[in-house]
Amino acid sequence: MQTKVVQNQSDPAAPAPSVQDTVIHTVGLTKTFGHVNALQGIDLMVPRNSIVGFLGPNGSGKTTAIKLLLGLSRPTAGKATLFGMDSIQDSLAIRSRVGYLAQDPRFYTHMTARETLEFTARFFYRGPTEAIRARIDETLELVGLEDKADRPTKGFSGGERQRLGIAQAQVNYPDLLILDEPAAALDPVGRRDVLDVMERLRAYTTIFYSTHILDDVERVSDYVAILDHGRMVASSPTEALLDGDSTTYELTIRGDEQTVLRTLRMHPWVSNVTTDSQNGSTAMTISVTDEQAAESGLLRSVIATDDVVVTAFGRKHFNLEDVFLQLVKDPRE
Amino acid sequence: MNTTTAASTVESSLVPVHTTGWRGGLANLVRKELGQWWGTRMWWIQTLIWVVLLNGVTTVIMLEGAGMPAGELVTEAVQTFLQMGATAIGIGVVLTIQGAVVGEKELGTAAWVMSKPVSRSSFVLAKLIAYSVGFVATALVIPSIVFVVQARLLLPVPLEYGPFALAVGIVALSVLFYVVLTIGLGCMFNGRGPVAGIGIGLILIGQFFKGMLPIPFVSITPWLLGDVATSFAIDSVPEWNRMIPLVATGTATLVLAFVGIRRFQREEF
Repeated sequence: MQTKVVQNQSDPAAPAPSVQDTVIHTVGLTKTFGHVNALQGIDLMVPRNSIVGFLGPNGSGKTTAIKLLLGLSRPTAGKATLFGMDSIQDSLAIRSRVGYLAQDPRFYTHMTARETLEFTARFFYRGPTEAIRARIDETLELVGLEDKADRPTKGFSGGERQRLGIAQAQVNYPDLLILDEPAAALDPVGRRDVLDVMERLRAYTTIFYSTHILDDVERVSDYVAILDHGRMVASSPTEALLDGDSTTYELTIRGDEQTVLRTLRMHPWVSNVTTDSQNGSTAMTISVTDEQAAESGLLRSVIATDDVVVTAFGRKHFNLEDVFLQLVKDPRE
Repeated sequence: MNTTTAASTVESSLVPVHTTGWRGGLANLVRKELGQWWGTRMWWIQTLIWVVLLNGVTTVIMLEGAGMPAGELVTEAVQTFLQMGATAIGIGVVLTIQGAVVGEKELGTAAWVMSKPVSRSSFVLAKLIAYSVGFVATALVIPSIVFVVQARLLLPVPLEYGPFALAVGIVALSVLFYVVLTIGLGCMFNGRGPVAGIGIGLILIGQFFKGMLPIPFVSITPWLLGDVATSFAIDSVPEWNRMIPLVATGTATLVLAFVGIRRFQREEF
């Protein structure tokens, strides 16, 4: 079975974001380390005020791409612009509008969480200490670290560091939040909290985050970009990606499965049928080559079959795991 | 006014910082680096070490040399203080701050800071400023003040404060050189081994072999700064050739700082 996903660009059915509405735009972004091609010419557009999940297996190049966007690393070829500014030439101006959470966030261990946030905030704001502290209190509350605010970060667990990382990333109300695996070190409650924070921030900022937790992406992301071995294999609105295509249908029946199979195979546009029978009910996945013919004739022909009751019918809806596994090559294979 | 409104009012007084150019984030980084030195126990541990070491040894010399001619005793005490200052503080600098840049690169805090609106030159300069101030103050100025008090109490003739202060300034140049060298090496290498090895090696080569090396070569190194400082403290009229190590070390310090910053600007995180 082949899922149609839009390769390297947005779904043509969805309106393409204009340059003014684009926060991140990369063209042929490439990075090599010696003989290793970490990124191979990725093209990416991230629309303003969207949440974009950046997916890929370990080592696919997600963190490398993020570091290139932040100017922490230089591209071997290609170009990245953020807010219309060049990632290298205008890096300082870009970073004043960005909040970043590293994959394994590390802070100065002699500082408390509050001092860490104050240190971070002072890169973005000047003004009375009282005002800075009010901002920090608000941020600590957002990530649930109020009770640990005055502890040195040296004793923080991975989850606490992650929360502090999220807090420092958005202490400046960034126009763009870049989060590298924001929920990786968190327990299920912490993960849920992070996703809630992301949902709340959606109205104010654009969020570009890498992850390998597919459920999270499905829950909060407007767009999905999938990277594999340094190549962008898909970039599309999440809904479009999960809707798959109009050439695969799901049909559930009660009754004589063989009769239905014979009926389906009479249609020249049915290319493949798989079945799964359980408790007297049979689920069929039907692939077709003629979308229009299937729309008008598929269900009608099955209903017309004697001794068969159709209990469900519709286009196959994929989950992200299906899509991901189809697109991403398993290195063991 | 409810709490939310109050908080909003307070926050509205925040003024965004518009950072541009090579000084981006410098003030905040210097504050943080100084805080790491003066806001922790680091400053008094350093002070204790250097007072015990420098003033301890000179106290022994002053007490044991009670029978020596007054001029010789003063010379002996001043020379020991300044020579030890120029050499031992250099070793202390390298050992203490060998991980200042490398450690941050290894741990990931450098990458974190560089994701903020901070220029790379600010990151390096902040360390140079804070460590220079920290070491000069705790390892040199405080022991020098203690030395002056010691001299008043234990030496038979008074110390000439002006030349001594000038000599301390020359040793401070040596301290600055080793701070810049260590930070600069940290920018160039990704491991502590080369940083500590080159830094300590340079000091020890000077300590043990400077007498065997050609004078024109030695005079353009920081190895003679202890001797130059002593000559300034003891004689009041400097000779022109004493200036060569000063100018050479000052120039080398600036070049090393420049090279270190340039290298860090090319660093990939």
